Amino acid sequence: MSRTPQTEMVTGAVWYQPGDEIPDVDQKLYALQNQCTDCNICEVACSLVHSPDGIVNPLLARLKVNHSPQVGKRAPTHGFGFAADICHHCGNPPPCAEVCPADAFYYDPKTNVAVIAQDKCIGCMECVPGCPFDVIFVAPDGELLKCDLCGGEPACVEACATRPELNNVGKQYNRAPVLFHADSATYRAVLQDKPEPRDEVGMMQAMLEKGMVSSAA
Amino acid sequence: MESRLLHVNLTTGELRVEQLPHAMFERWIGGSGINNWIMWEHFLKHDINCDPRSPDNIFVFGVGPLAGTGSGSGIKGRITFKSPCYGIFGDSAAGGKFPYMVRFAGFDHIAITGKAPRPVYLYLCDGHADIRDATHLWGKNTAETHTALNTELGDYPSHVHTLTIGQAGEHQVGIAAVVSDASRIHARGGGGCVMGSKNLKAIAVQGSGGVRVANPAGMLKWSREFRASIDRNEAIYGFKRRGTLGAVEMYQHIGSHFWRNNQGNMFRGDEVRSDNWVKKYHKYSEVCSADCFIACDGRYKIDGSESEKAQKYVGETFRRPEYLTTGSAAGALDLRDWAEVAHWGKITNDYGIDNQDLSCAISFIMEVNQHGLLSERDIGELFGRAQSLEWGNMEDVETLMADIVYRRNLFGELFHDGPYWGALRYSARTGRNFMKYSIYGKGGASFTEEMRPFPTWMNNMAVASRGADHLKGIGLIEKFQRRDLSKRYFNGRLEAADLSTPVLKGACTALVENQVALINSYGVCLFHWMLDPTGYAPEEYYGRAFAEVTGIDRTPEELMRDGERICNLEKAFNSRLGLRREHDTICERWMFEPTTEGMYPGRVAADMFETVLDEYYEWRGWERDTGLQTASRLESLGMGDVAEVLAADGALARG
Repeated sequence: MSRTPQTEMVTGAVWYQPGDEIPDVDQKLYALQNQCTDCNICEVACSLVHSPDGIVNPLLARLKVNHSPQVGKRAPTHGFGFAADICHHCGNPPPCAEVCPADAFYYDPKTNVAVIAQDKCIGCMECVPGCPFDVIFVAPDGELLKCDLCGGEPACVEACATRPELNNVGKQYNRAPVLFHADSATYRAVLQDKPEPRDEVGMMQAMLEKGMVSSAA
Repeated sequence: MESRLLHVNLTTGELRVEQLPHAMFERWIGGSGINNWIMWEHFLKHDINCDPRSPDNIFVFGVGPLAGTGSGSGIKGRITFKSPCYGIFGDSAAGGKFPYMVRFAGFDHIAITGKAPRPVYLYLCDGHADIRDATHLWGKNTAETHTALNTELGDYPSHVHTLTIGQAGEHQVGIAAVVSDASRIHARGGGGCVMGSKNLKAIAVQGSGGVRVANPAGMLKWSREFRASIDRNEAIYGFKRRGTLGAVEMYQHIGSHFWRNNQGNMFRGDEVRSDNWVKKYHKYSEVCSADCFIACDGRYKIDGSESEKAQKYVGETFRRPEYLTTGSAAGALDLRDWAEVAHWGKITNDYGIDNQDLSCAISFIMEVNQHGLLSERDIGELFGRAQSLEWGNMEDVETLMADIVYRRNLFGELFHDGPYWGALRYSARTGRNFMKYSIYGKGGASFTEEMRPFPTWMNNMAVASRGADHLKGIGLIEKFQRRDLSKRYFNGRLEAADLSTPVLKGACTALVENQVALINSYGVCLFHWMLDPTGYAPEEYYGRAFAEVTGIDRTPEELMRDGERICNLEKAFNSRLGLRREHDTICERWMFEPTTEGMYPGRVAADMFETVLDEYYEWRGWERDTGLQTASRLESLGMGDVAEVLAADGALARG
């Protein structure tokens, strides 16, 4: 169960390049490239909102911040990189659900994303290698953890450390987090406008225009 | 609120877990507050005048109640001990992921006493503790030790986080530091020396447990509002990008640097005057402490194209220098190349040594040489070889640093407790008085920032419980000339923000010391506190976070008293060691030599020193002539038991 992220070449961070196919889902998490600072606050918030008795424990989080060599590869000027490995909420049906022998995945009617029914899960862990992005996690007690988008208001996005200092671009925004939450049509439109995802400022401006982040008063 | 204290006796190998009673939080909050109390109680049973390097000394690690709770600010771990270099109260904080992992491993405080018969490290994991052999780690620097422990312990059940000492701690150098995760340094006071004297090479921790929060929804709401409030502050943009390096330019404007052993207070060398190098040369990404959202920190990597001197360090990568790394290297030692400044930061971390005291020790001997006071024979005796002592020469600096770290010649032996003790020992040995070249404040601690034009800072250097230091009562109201805050805290008066008068400067130290004690006991980083646009009022908003986490509800007035209580315990510790008013002092250069440049040329500390100190004692309610605490003030803070101990030691004011 030990994960060694330093050697992982496949990162779960969700960035799309222009031309990448973006699956059709109603809601999805996205990350702004190269801006993750490894503060773990998303993990902490995720575990706290999912805990029935107010326990903070990053190992119970449904996303993980990893040192990500791929960030360095994509953006050679940095050479260091962190990224939150987050569920891609793959299209219909998601590979994790497909491999499940217990039929424990169902669509949350509120968000239309696949989530695990804990009462049906038999703990076989088939979905862990079944996930192409390695973002189904195993809690210390064996429970399988998958992002459920918090019923439509993801706590990680709310908690994500903001980077308003990006060329002072943040001054124009209420919030400029690293993690975003949007439907795929909006995100596609953002990418269409701004074909260079590594240009964080440009991305942020495009997101503002498409209503993905709100403008400061 | 649950909190567990792990007692470790390295002599007997005994490990004991104690559940801290709820009353402890009511009185001491956590973090530095509880650390101080653990040490206070220890020295009720052991001789407080013991040699700090002896097994009787105690080494306490502690985290605050906000650590790992999603508050986004409880990131600091704190070590507390009797300082081996200054001989008084000692403590030091650092961030990173070690503190929150200690909590996830099931502990909040660790109290270590005794001395192991051979090198060991302490391993904590999910409520269990273990003393393990560290013979194979002895001799390694902090980065190598961290890597070796990571390899040894693996990634299950969580990543490994460590607290280690380097060669300086192993050789019991008085100014040795403790380094967290190979990059975050508990530098002040000589904690590394205490660990080294106990044969304790490292503490490694893994944890998969959680931390319970009394009111999760309230906590998340508080955290959101707090972060939104910080992001409203425009200062955050610069700070998130450059961290404390932003001070380099600002200090050049106000003349607050420390140049060549404080013979000047402005940097020379065009490049080091600005922090543009971060943007221009060094490729970095920001990195954070766990659960902190500011990311004032970043990494550099040298590729050799930056400057001629940088070619020596191609491929080197580390955390980028912050202000005091720069202040000590570009200032005290006059290194003018950024690659060298960055490299200085890396090697002090690797050896595990405080760059403040170290740079002042080296700049002391360089200045003595500059005045032609060292003959060839003197140099031969000190270093056991021919040695050039040239300002701004990195090779000289590295050699002298190694002399001290390994205590390998007379210079290393004399100066391993910092410039004050070094100068004193060298003067005694040669029969010549070199003290006027030694830069120090209380306890003999030194510091690489100019303070003569800044009365509150000057007062900080004289009264800080852990020896000369700016972080205990940080005088930012004055330095940033915040008239709004002066008005708010002192009934509409503006003098606290006015550098030209001693009025309200002692008061300001007393006030801010209480606030900082509060911040430190929550385990909150001072930068969160400094950046809040509503101003320095930790008693208001952190009180709410503390309530959401612990369920202990406090009014701002009660919290300020909590802060004052913590300060008074630190003071009481020093009073028991015999410290009185005459020990609250600063060195000759700061006191009597006028500044020659900057905003206020011609200033000497003596202009205002006694006035400010009198006012400080008055606001503290301590006796003016002796500096001792009074029974009535202590009793009003609910510290009657402390007053009794002081009375028995003759360390209580008679009035």
